[in-house]
Amino acid sequence: MNVLHDVLQFIINALSLGGLYALMALGLVIVYGILRLVNFAYGELVMVAGYTLLMLGAGPIPWLIVAVISIGMAVLTSLLLERVAFRPVRQASATTMLITSFAVSALLQNMAILFISPRAKAVTTPSFFTENFQVGDLLISKGNLASLVVSLVLLGLLTLFLRRTLLGIALRAAADDFVMTRLVGIRANQVIATAFAISGFLAGVVALFWIGRLGSVGPFVGSTPVLVAFVAAVVGGMESLTGAVIGGYLLGALTVGLQLMLPQSLLDYRQAFVFAIVLLVLLFRPQGLVRGTATAERV
Amino acid sequence: MHHLKSTSWWPTSLLLSGPLLVLALVVYLFGGEVLQRILIVLFINLTMVLGLQIFMGNSGVVSFAQIGFMGIGAYSSALFSMSPQAKAMALRNLYSFLVPVQVPFVVAVIIGGIMAALVAALVGYPLMRLSGAAAVIATFALLIIVHTVLINWSEVTNGPRTLFGLEAYTTLWVSVASGILFLILALWFKETRLGLQLRASREDEAAAASIGINIVWVRWIAFVLAAFVTGVAGALWAHFITSFSPLAFYLPQTFLIISMAIIGGSASVSGAVVGAVAVTAIFEGVRGIENAINISTVFPFTVSGLTEVCLSIAMILILILRPSGILGSRELPT
Amino acid sequence: MIQNNALTLHVEEITKDFVGLRALEDVTLSLHRGEILGLIGPNGSGKTTLINVITGFLKPTRGRVRVGDTDITGWPPHRIAHVGLARTFQTIKLFRGLTVLENVEVAAVSAGLSRPQARERALWALERVGATHLATIPAGALPYGEERRIEVARALASRPIFLFLDEPAAGLNEQESDTLLEMLTPLPRETGCGMLIVDHDMRLIMRLCHRLHVLNYGRTICEGTPNEVRHDKEVIAAYLGSGRRMLPC
Repeated sequence: MNVLHDVLQFIINALSLGGLYALMALGLVIVYGILRLVNFAYGELVMVAGYTLLMLGAGPIPWLIVAVISIGMAVLTSLLLERVAFRPVRQASATTMLITSFAVSALLQNMAILFISPRAKAVTTPSFFTENFQVGDLLISKGNLASLVVSLVLLGLLTLFLRRTLLGIALRAAADDFVMTRLVGIRANQVIATAFAISGFLAGVVALFWIGRLGSVGPFVGSTPVLVAFVAAVVGGMESLTGAVIGGYLLGALTVGLQLMLPQSLLDYRQAFVFAIVLLVLLFRPQGLVRGTATAERV
Repeated sequence: MHHLKSTSWWPTSLLLSGPLLVLALVVYLFGGEVLQRILIVLFINLTMVLGLQIFMGNSGVVSFAQIGFMGIGAYSSALFSMSPQAKAMALRNLYSFLVPVQVPFVVAVIIGGIMAALVAALVGYPLMRLSGAAAVIATFALLIIVHTVLINWSEVTNGPRTLFGLEAYTTLWVSVASGILFLILALWFKETRLGLQLRASREDEAAAASIGINIVWVRWIAFVLAAFVTGVAGALWAHFITSFSPLAFYLPQTFLIISMAIIGGSASVSGAVVGAVAVTAIFEGVRGIENAINISTVFPFTVSGLTEVCLSIAMILILILRPSGILGSRELPT
Repeated sequence: MIQNNALTLHVEEITKDFVGLRALEDVTLSLHRGEILGLIGPNGSGKTTLINVITGFLKPTRGRVRVGDTDITGWPPHRIAHVGLARTFQTIKLFRGLTVLENVEVAAVSAGLSRPQARERALWALERVGATHLATIPAGALPYGEERRIEVARALASRPIFLFLDEPAAGLNEQESDTLLEMLTPLPRETGCGMLIVDHDMRLIMRLCHRLHVLNYGRTICEGTPNEVRHDKEVIAAYLGSGRRMLPC
């Protein structure tokens, strides 16, 4: 009985964390698929949404509206960065783009340090993030449950968008073969801007749950999400949206699993283990554990 | 056609090290302590960015792992240079066989370099197959792993807490010697058979393989050499600053040396020198302003982050306007 | 490097499958030192794939590649280069950030020469292709027509025993093609290397090659002297079918 309880609890925890991780990874991969840009500044989109939560959250505006505005701010920032920083280096090498995003990330973090505060500040979040409810023996956090539901709904909506709308199809086509998509007359700037907007949107949603869990926001609040996104994306396959989602869930399960299984003395090294796994995947399955449709269809 | 000059590293060496030596001499004779300390930082930075240039500049593969090697150099040299008494104070849980070990400073610095090179050699070989984004993420993962180990291996690092009690062995001339020595090494390396092969592989991997270049091998040698140089820089820095924690060897420092390489132009050693000088000047200059503001209490809060904001803007502008850096792939004096 | 004048390159029953596509099927050919073999066929007939398989850039699905008694099947490209196989690329692959001289020199040092020896060899190779005057120019700044010559010089600098040229005449006008012909013709005799050349320039192929090997849809359809191949019915049909003209008039 006890074993069953542990297993169920593990599944619930792993799924809810995994859902959040999947959203993080998806936001990174959707841009990578099109531009081959590993966007280090993705974490700072989470930060921007977080600071919006901080500033408006204490006021009289209902939380849901604050949440929508926060997501909107992440989308706007993402679009702005695309226009100002990434578009000018789009023709340059992948390395140049990547270092640009590294510099943009440093810029935003340090602007937060300079203009807001080097220290994290407490954010008032709705109480349901920290509340639990009981189903039989199982303890379920409402925040976790919400992140699980929201991530599933968003994944579904995103899939519909990518499969059913013209822009979505163009986006998938561009992830496969960007030059070809341009040749058949779909406007590159529009496709890329859409990808950045979706990336910003996902970062905004991630921010709600991530900051809900942490209860505070600081200049480095985006570091963990961006690292998680890297790992999940690499493990799942950088070129595949499905892979990113699976990578997210795998990483969620791995994180919860290591927490349970590693002896206390090694628990502090958990991060090292996770990144050692990243290295191994990069070396032995550079296309990720899930082979992307993009790579499979290409001859 | 035999009048074609052979490519030579020494004119550039003289041209680059001359002004640096003059600068050091002027500051030594006339500058105050603050200026001397800034210059020491400059030469340590120079050593560090030269380490990056040796690998990244010649191979075209970005390494985010360098600062991890700096940390390894810093901690392992400290273990060998500190007196048993200092260790008893600062590292209470140090393995007993390491407590009595103490060697001269120079030897400790070389040990720091060797330890960094050893780690690079052990983990590096398989990584050298990767390039582009995969290489960045892999070396980034390596940095995080090294950082996690430094934070948690409290027996030898004092954990996340500050390690203190090092002697300030790194004088101005020690840092100058290191900067100039590795400057010449980097210029020489570029023109060796291996350096030439590495630069060819940077330009086109398939063509390089077709003429018999073993890309993984040449990259690996450069990676290990670069880790040695960076490890030495870490050791020198440790004996300049004398107390530090693992936090000193992470993303902000990584950002700093990558910005030096990018701003100056990573493909040339001259670019690395220009980058180190320019970034150190911006960094120390703006930080001076920052400190002045904070001391004068013009604002009711402390200003921090301004330096990094200026640096990242400079870096983004360079990347947009001149992606190969101020000097590009040219070596002075051409 | 293997030093043996009687050495022959054997390609034995090479088959190469891509996903859903058989690019090469049971191709067998041999290349002797001192001879020039033309590998021709319509677009997509597997010529470049064969060069890629021989030089190690692709692993064959079946079949062997041997140099004398050494089985080099599946070796990585850099090891195959050390056996003495050199190549050029259909899409030009120069080291654009290096000077022309460095481009050629690096091939010579990679073949095991010291820096001074490599300098000498590189200057010889550049002179051989008539590009000495370009030595100090960055390869990225070369005009298109010159790029192919530098690739040939780079391949020559490694003193190959077998040389593979993938469409060296692509994009050249008639006059430039004639210059190329003059440059290539004496090479096998002078350096003792065996040369395999892929090109669509039939004027060049017919005058340069001692023997021809014709591929169509990945299969050998004809082998023989230029004169024999020119009159082969299957070859004519293949070329008619592809809409390309086999013979220059």
